[in-house]
Amino acid sequence: MIPLAHAGHWLTSIAYFVPVVGFLLWLGITQLRERRKGRPR
Amino acid sequence: MRCRAAALLAALVAVWALSPPVASAHGIVQRSDLPVPEWLFGWAAAAVLVISFVALAVLWPEPKLREDGWRPLPTHIGRLLTSAAVDVLCGAAGVFLLGVVVWSGLDGTQTPTANFAPTFVYVIFWIGLVPVSVVFGDVFRAFNPWRAIGRATAWIASTAARTELPAPLTYPERLGRWPAAAGILGFATLELVISGGDKPETVAAATLVYSAITFVAMALYGVDAWSDRGEAFSVYFNLFSRLSPLERRGRRVGLRRPLSGLPPLDAVPGTVPLVAMMIGSVTFDGAAEAPIWTSIAPHIADFFRSLGLSPEHALEAAFFVGLLAAVMTVYGLYRLGIAGARTGGGGFSANRLAGAFVHSLVPIALAYVAAHYLTLLLYQGQGAVFLASDPLGNGSDYFGTANSSIDYGVMGATATWYWQVGFVIAGHVAALTLAHDRALSLYDRAALAVRSQYWMLGVMVCFTSLALWLLSQANT
Repeated sequence: MIPLAHAGHWLTSIAYFVPVVGFLLWLGITQLRERRKGRPR
Repeated sequence: MRCRAAALLAALVAVWALSPPVASAHGIVQRSDLPVPEWLFGWAAAAVLVISFVALAVLWPEPKLREDGWRPLPTHIGRLLTSAAVDVLCGAAGVFLLGVVVWSGLDGTQTPTANFAPTFVYVIFWIGLVPVSVVFGDVFRAFNPWRAIGRATAWIASTAARTELPAPLTYPERLGRWPAAAGILGFATLELVISGGDKPETVAAATLVYSAITFVAMALYGVDAWSDRGEAFSVYFNLFSRLSPLERRGRRVGLRRPLSGLPPLDAVPGTVPLVAMMIGSVTFDGAAEAPIWTSIAPHIADFFRSLGLSPEHALEAAFFVGLLAAVMTVYGLYRLGIAGARTGGGGFSANRLAGAFVHSLVPIALAYVAAHYLTLLLYQGQGAVFLASDPLGNGSDYFGTANSSIDYGVMGATATWYWQVGFVIAGHVAALTLAHDRALSLYDRAALAVRSQYWMLGVMVCFTSLALWLLSQANT
């Protein structure tokens, strides 16, 4: 129950880093697509 | 399909943002009068960065910061500001303040807030000189007490000997800015790690030790060479002064384009670690207040206790580990961005790219300092008014200001938060601009330059989120 009781702290902390995760996902997907297309670098 | 996913995400965000803070031990802590939760500011800041990145890619197709457009101010202003009299006066003021720090630290009360030394060193000097450098340029060079004493000693010695002094040793290129990085680490350790680092006696003793090391190094390598590369505070404030629109060239003072002072920064060895140290030490200062650190630190301290350290030294060792971890995290993030930029092509080595883009970290360092220490400077800085009258804390009143007090109503919590978010965003947009401009200079195609910056944008988003999270931790 302790993690739930302190959810106010860690949920808020995680929320700050959602843009980073979102950006990394976008970057990863973009790079995968580029590789699949076989675009010369 | 995409529209549906976006709508679902937007709905989830709206529900999360608008839902009341329930079922938590301490509540979701935030300033009650903000219109949206604090973390949503982080999302907005990230959005501003992405929009700025796109705008730069579209509207900034050519490098513009290679030319600084320096234009001299009227000659008499330059002559006055760079005159020998002003140089001597500023140097004497610096030496006087250095003396007051040592005197008050050794002879005054040992209550940190009632003694001139800790407030002057940690607030007025370390933090207050940063905005002064950003606005007025490399002011510390004129006030640097070690440089003033070194130059005065050299002048007296050469006059007494009636001959030129022997030439100093050549400053080793491989040392670069490493000594300055070590100095900043030492200062951060004193401030954030050492138990009783704010004790006036400790501050005075550290000042004397640092002065002795500096004088020996100046004697070996020359006053100017050591001031330019090795003396930690000269290098630290010089980096910030590169953001200033004012620059001295010889006997003239002039105005240059915004941000154009940073691209010429020579990335000698130790520059990247130095800037990582600058950002990392502020990061640790913020993180040390976070629940995540306060729950981990005792376990690390227990480990050091099991090695035989006393409880006090074990906790210091734990904090030193935390400080190093914060610096390494910042360094690692930057190197990750560089490694990602390499995958974009261009054939540059990682070290070449790391040196090429390091100047873009300086506005981030400024954003971290400005946002994190804003309230400390605003409130604690006022202490200088009564401490100037009573530096020893013994009841004296030299200037009649000993009875003044700190006005905590200077800025409200909400206004402070908006300023902090503003500093963080402005600093990171400036960093993006510098990195984009440098990429355009490095790569032969604009498209390649932009693609290389995807990862750097990721690093900036990460630093932005980290900065705002750290600020929020100070409120929990």
